[in-house]
Amino acid sequence: MCRCVPSTFINIHFQYIFFRQVDVIEGCRLPVLRKNQENEDEWPLAEILSVKEIPGRKLYYVHYIDFNKRLDEWVTPERLDMKKLQFPKKEAKTPTKNGLPGSRPSSPEREVPQAQQKCLPTKTSIPDFQVLQQQVQPPTITVHLCFDFLSPLFKSSQNGTARRPMPNQPGRKRKQPPNCGGTDEDSQDSSDGIPSAPRMTGSLVSDRSHDDIVTRMKNIDCIELGRHRLKPWYFSPYPQELTTLPILYLCEFCLKYLKSLKCLQRHLTKCNLRHPPGNEIYRKGTISFFEIDGRKNKTYSQNLCLLAKCFLDHKTLYYDTDPFLFYVMTEYDSKGFHIVGYFSKEKESTEDYNVACILTLPPYQRRGYGKLLIEFSYELSKVEGKTGTPEKPLSDLGLLSYRSYWSQTILEILMDLKPDNGERPQITINEISEITSVKKEDVISTLQYLNLINYYKGQYILTLSEDIVEGHERAMQKRHLPIDPKCLHFTPKDWSKRGKW
Amino acid sequence: MSKLSFRARALDAAKPLPIYRNKDLPDLNDCVSINRAVPQMPTGMEKEEESEHHLQRAISAQSVFREKKENMVIPVPEAESNITYYDRLYKGELRIPKQLFHIQPLGLDNEQPDYDMDSEDEILLNRLNRKMEIKPIQFETMVDRLEKASTNQMVTITEAKLLLNEDDYLLKAVYDYWVRKRKNCRGPSLIPLIKLEKRDGSTNNDAYVAFRRRTEKMQTRKNRKNDEASYEKMLKLRREFSRTVTILEMIKRREKSKRELLHLTLEVVEKRYQMGDFTGEVLSEVTAPLAEKPVYTVPITVTNGNRHNHKAEIKIKSGGLPYHGYHHVSVKDEDPFDFVRPKKKYTRREPLCRPGRPAKRQHIVNKADIKQYDFHSSGEEDYPLSPTSEPDEENDPDGTFAFRRKAGCHYLPCLDQTSGLLWDHPELAGLDALRHRQSLTALSVPQRCVGLARRRVGRGGRVLLDRASSDLDGVLKQLDSGVFSSSFPKGLSDPQVPTQNHRTMPGSASSLTDLLSNIQALRWRFFRPRSTQGDGSGEGRTGRPSMDNRLSGGLFVHTKNSGSGELLLNPIVKTAGSTDCIISKTLDSAGAHFAASAVISAPGQVNNENKPDNTSVNGVVQPLGTSRPPHSTSTSQGGTGLDRSGRTPSSCGPLLPASHSTTPQSLPNHRGHGSAVSPAHHHHNARPSPSSLKLATMATSSLDRVPKVTPAISSMARDNHEPERLALNGISETTVPMEVT
Repeated sequence: MCRCVPSTFINIHFQYIFFRQVDVIEGCRLPVLRKNQENEDEWPLAEILSVKEIPGRKLYYVHYIDFNKRLDEWVTPERLDMKKLQFPKKEAKTPTKNGLPGSRPSSPEREVPQAQQKCLPTKTSIPDFQVLQQQVQPPTITVHLCFDFLSPLFKSSQNGTARRPMPNQPGRKRKQPPNCGGTDEDSQDSSDGIPSAPRMTGSLVSDRSHDDIVTRMKNIDCIELGRHRLKPWYFSPYPQELTTLPILYLCEFCLKYLKSLKCLQRHLTKCNLRHPPGNEIYRKGTISFFEIDGRKNKTYSQNLCLLAKCFLDHKTLYYDTDPFLFYVMTEYDSKGFHIVGYFSKEKESTEDYNVACILTLPPYQRRGYGKLLIEFSYELSKVEGKTGTPEKPLSDLGLLSYRSYWSQTILEILMDLKPDNGERPQITINEISEITSVKKEDVISTLQYLNLINYYKGQYILTLSEDIVEGHERAMQKRHLPIDPKCLHFTPKDWSKRGKW
Repeated sequence: MSKLSFRARALDAAKPLPIYRNKDLPDLNDCVSINRAVPQMPTGMEKEEESEHHLQRAISAQSVFREKKENMVIPVPEAESNITYYDRLYKGELRIPKQLFHIQPLGLDNEQPDYDMDSEDEILLNRLNRKMEIKPIQFETMVDRLEKASTNQMVTITEAKLLLNEDDYLLKAVYDYWVRKRKNCRGPSLIPLIKLEKRDGSTNNDAYVAFRRRTEKMQTRKNRKNDEASYEKMLKLRREFSRTVTILEMIKRREKSKRELLHLTLEVVEKRYQMGDFTGEVLSEVTAPLAEKPVYTVPITVTNGNRHNHKAEIKIKSGGLPYHGYHHVSVKDEDPFDFVRPKKKYTRREPLCRPGRPAKRQHIVNKADIKQYDFHSSGEEDYPLSPTSEPDEENDPDGTFAFRRKAGCHYLPCLDQTSGLLWDHPELAGLDALRHRQSLTALSVPQRCVGLARRRVGRGGRVLLDRASSDLDGVLKQLDSGVFSSSFPKGLSDPQVPTQNHRTMPGSASSLTDLLSNIQALRWRFFRPRSTQGDGSGEGRTGRPSMDNRLSGGLFVHTKNSGSGELLLNPIVKTAGSTDCIISKTLDSAGAHFAASAVISAPGQVNNENKPDNTSVNGVVQPLGTSRPPHSTSTSQGGTGLDRSGRTPSSCGPLLPASHSTTPQSLPNHRGHGSAVSPAHHHHNARPSPSSLKLATMATSSLDRVPKVTPAISSMARDNHEPERLALNGISETTVPMEVT
């Protein structure tokens, strides 16, 4: 249909852009100002995910392309570079003619994609950009403008499609069975009869099939938890009436959500908890771990999950918490045992997962607590006599943390190996796996990542370069809080014999 | 790099990897590229996110600097950590206990209201507090209860009164406030709650619905998949087992009743024996009144499983009932001697039997019996009204000529005549031997004696006579039936009862006179037309079955030895004198069967001879004027009926013991005495004949009168015959040459 648009109509459209304020609608892309870590101005390309009108002005929810969703935010119109506005391709949900997916890889599926577009002229008259390019118009100023704002789009879409494979076409996601993770549980789950229900094992969604516009956007502005105010990174299904609040208050110990400080005050007169409501299975110094059964203590588990979801993109709260155990790490001070982070773990995992979700709360991040959580999870696996691996997909921070932990753990073993009566020290991957409880695949990937595996004279060898050794030694000096297995009071339970968890 | 042309082996996790420091390997650069031979492990991240700018930057920074640089970390939204009012909010201090915390299983429920007062509530509370004292916790409890009571609809004021049990003024104030506040509330409840799933699945895609219940199918083990099917199978198994238990219980009860009956019957017989009630007189007196109504106490013998009886009885019940009354009168004194079928036939038929039939054992039928034993064993259906033959007809290779058990017939093992008679009396030979198997026979149409012959029933119910040649042939030819008609007064010796002399050896009957005297002395069996009935003579037609209504049918005589062609004989038929005692005993030539239909002879009709073993032969008991269904072309004399119902190769005519035969002792002795009629190999006529019905009714009526005695007798008879059964087959085979068909 785009081909049929007469050139005069296009001209009318450009005049419209030129002479009037353009309506920036969902799906548009344009550079948006943001400060980087060095507090410098940057204009990364962003996509408009939502527009809302508050008295006096409009706000735009933007997702910075190739940045993590946690940086998505509401921005004012001043931060939009309207000169470089790209309109969404029409019929983006159908494959383009060359078979490549649409140009909105990061766009979420919208509930009612078209209905929210208020600007009818733009909606109906915007031609396909590719068509537009073919129908090169007479060199008028509008045409020049047109090329100007089109060029980034082509770059982006071509780059995007070439650089990353797009397994999921946004427009078709919803019709697909929700779990395409390739695990063998899929067949099992798909027979459930609930066509759109995700798989029931695990805690993470491995695809974005439920990624609609609601879950793509943060819904909680701020959470107050104890001494900290947290800016949530992702959507979390707290009661909808609480999402409009400027601040959501949580009880620091029971994690109950409250709409106001007054309510929290009142709640604290009734809540006697000063530590997570579970069994303390580890304590060394100020660090303690509490084990909470997701079936026995549903309220706390759910509250914890709601909080965690604010910071874990792939976490799913679709199902209840019954098959999980929650290990909450706390730091003690005179007020009580303050939650630092936690990880959850399936009581019975079919896939050797020893961690389902893992989170260090933002105020405690980058201080070694994450590694402590990971270390603790492997200590539990050692007690169980199993190797384990975290549930996939990993987040970026998760990948970095785990790689760092694996690297340090493996390097420590390798460097501690002493020559055995003159022989060169050697070790098998299985041995490393057994010592560390790190799953074999993770050992191999770490060795690869560190570039330690080499093929030399017909056999594989491990080589330790100087910078690796030095880097490791430096990292170990910074690692101040190792888990002490002696302080762990943990007896694994055979959940399979307990019927239903 | 030419070395790289070979393919590196796969990385083996079980193989030791030597560890080198880079400085130990000056030629390490040669290996670097080979590193690619190890397949790259996935990072475990989503592909889309893996390429994110900050992550890539962090990864590259790490690989370059081997440690995180401050400016290379992945940026996250900021967090504040300076809540100034924290200490005021979280009051009190907690001293760390020495012990690890151990949560009490039930320690969490301290019944605190979930509702937390907000500042708006505080205003109300302050206002209320001017008039009365109300604590925040009290207010919260009230709102909490109101909230929790109104799941779908808000509670009314009256409900609230019941719910809260507070002062009326306070209640009204709080209730009104609550109603107002709730209406303004944007959420579904004043206590913010996570949206719950709805059962209809409409909330499946609602992003705000969380913590859905896992369906029951949650399973970590996949081998449980067919649990449901297994469970159903187990249920079915259990049902079937319990049904089996019920059936066994019923069988047990039945067998107990049978045993009791047997004991009682035995007692009756003993009593009768003690009182000398050999004629059954006392018994009939005693049982006469009982006969009026159905006798339920009459079950019967324990002859070996006649599995078809059950079906047959039912047949009788339906078909034979209309005649019951009649038969009851006409045939009374029949001892229910059971005819046990030969084993061989039995097994042959076995596979065609309907499976699962209850092993019904009683052989004598009356209504009561049917009721008594008519239980269904394994839930299968009975088809009381359908012809018995029907189910078998299609299956049987013999088609309509297949052997079928006759209702009301009892099949006893054949008599081993050889052992029973000839063997016992080795002195018998030649004519004597022959005489024991054959009878003198006279024909009515060419009124003459045909010599020794034996009767059997052929196809279609025709009665055949097998003749045997003997030394006497010459003599007998002179014999003319007329001789007897005059010489035997009808009233004296019942005409149909030719006699035989048994054991008292008449010497060599070489002359006609001797013969005659022998006959007259009833030492020889003589089968002849009933001269008194005269009518018999008219119906004989050669080679055709007779359609006589009054008489049972024609007899075809196939004479083998003499080859004299087919002769039609009128059977000797007893007149309808119902009180007559009929003692008939037929024995086929092979002596294969010992078929008995019970007779209790009326007084005065007893044979003159007092010997207990003296039996009359050729017992064809046919009440005259029996209203016979017109379709019956068969000769349905009693004996014939039995024969046909037996339908075994060597099945037998009725064996009618003498009056005193009710004593058990007499039974074995009867074995040897039989007429020469040999019903051999009847495979034909599968239809239940009226004669069988009649027989059954006869049995019934006899039972009515002799309830206790008969079973004992028949059972004993059976017992006696039991060992002989084995010999049967062989004997019936030896008789084959005698057959003429």
